[in-house]
Amino acid sequence: MTAARDIIKLFVLKTFPTDSPGAGIDYETSFVDAGIMDSMRVLELVEFLEGQFGITIKDSELVPGNLDSIRNICRYLESKGVTGADS
Amino acid sequence: MAFNGDVLSINPVCETQRICGFIKAQVFSKYKRKGVVLGLSGGVDSALAACLCVRALGPERIRGLVLPEKESSPESAELAAEQAEALGICADVVDITPLLQAFDVYERRTAVVRELCESYDPETDGMRITLPPDVLNRDGLNVFSLKVSTTRGEFSYRLKPDQLHAIVSAQNMKQRTRMIQLYSLAERLNCVVCGTTNRTEMEQGFFVKHGDGGVDIEPLAHLYKTQVFQLAEHLGVIEKIRSRAPAPDTWPGGVTDEEFYFRMPLKTLDLLLYAWKAELSADDAGRELDLTAEQVTRAFRDFQSKEKSTWHLRSLPPSLETERPSRSAGAKPGGSRSS
Repeated sequence: MTAARDIIKLFVLKTFPTDSPGAGIDYETSFVDAGIMDSMRVLELVEFLEGQFGITIKDSELVPGNLDSIRNICRYLESKGVTGADS
Repeated sequence: MAFNGDVLSINPVCETQRICGFIKAQVFSKYKRKGVVLGLSGGVDSALAACLCVRALGPERIRGLVLPEKESSPESAELAAEQAEALGICADVVDITPLLQAFDVYERRTAVVRELCESYDPETDGMRITLPPDVLNRDGLNVFSLKVSTTRGEFSYRLKPDQLHAIVSAQNMKQRTRMIQLYSLAERLNCVVCGTTNRTEMEQGFFVKHGDGGVDIEPLAHLYKTQVFQLAEHLGVIEKIRSRAPAPDTWPGGVTDEEFYFRMPLKTLDLLLYAWKAELSADDAGRELDLTAEQVTRAFRDFQSKEKSTWHLRSLPPSLETERPSRSAGAKPGGSRSS
């Protein structure tokens, strides 16, 4: 089974493409600091996570601590009951 | 200069002289045109730009254009006309509603809003998109939500990416339609189009590419919004304009710049933006402004995010370098927009 972190990384690479795929985006990379997250892309990420993992993300949960890196997303998914997301 | 709450105070006499010199040099020597056309929105930026252009070139060389549409505040056009009269400049009024209707702006946007709020009635209800408020005290990403105001109350909706794109692309037609009107008149009169974007807006990307950003000169782009207000008071912009809350005036029902985009009060915004540009630490900036380092860090993070995501608004379209340097001293492709 593909780990949540790999699914998320694939999504990020596909949806937030750069001219050197994979370069610079690792588990801990801040999407905001890397300049790859803007107001449009947050919505794309939210739509993906809700559809892929069957969760509902509240407005109050749209914070960098939950969504600004693959690590943060995995921890957030774990807290939402997605088992194995942060392992 | 030491950072404190007065760091953005300007000498209005010197600043007026400097900007007037700039306008005169640009219009007469660089562009070799007869005067200036500018849009008068009823807001403080365009009123100040008009004052400065009149001082620089004389009222007979300035032509104002008031470009209302059915969703702009009626007060805006009234104040714009009042300011034009006070300055002794000719200002034509062109209602751009029929043009926007021809572009399907209202219908396209209504269709998207109704996907989320079936009962939305554009004739009676207001709508706008906003970012989460109070960036200083809340961790929050820049996620736009749709707000619909009805007689039954106000409702908020999470937008899907395609819906946000559709709303923004429809809305931006308003500023782009105004740009077309301004250039049409300016070319007819052999004038330049004067922009009204200030530094706060410029640095954070709060303008529409080829809309209100589509101009020939930007005489206010080095002034933070609070400095615009200082100069506006000095030059006698009418008080009713100076006392209005800054707003885009493009959304039915109204929204302020703070609610729509900036997420903090204007004065705090400008001082923090200055501190961020000056690379002050969050501790140092916070100490002077009576904010915690955590609050300042949230603001800096927001500035960084907006600056990075809007870089293209401030640049010429990137292109490959030419093989040999051009003899003309034009703007460098991909270079920054001068301010």
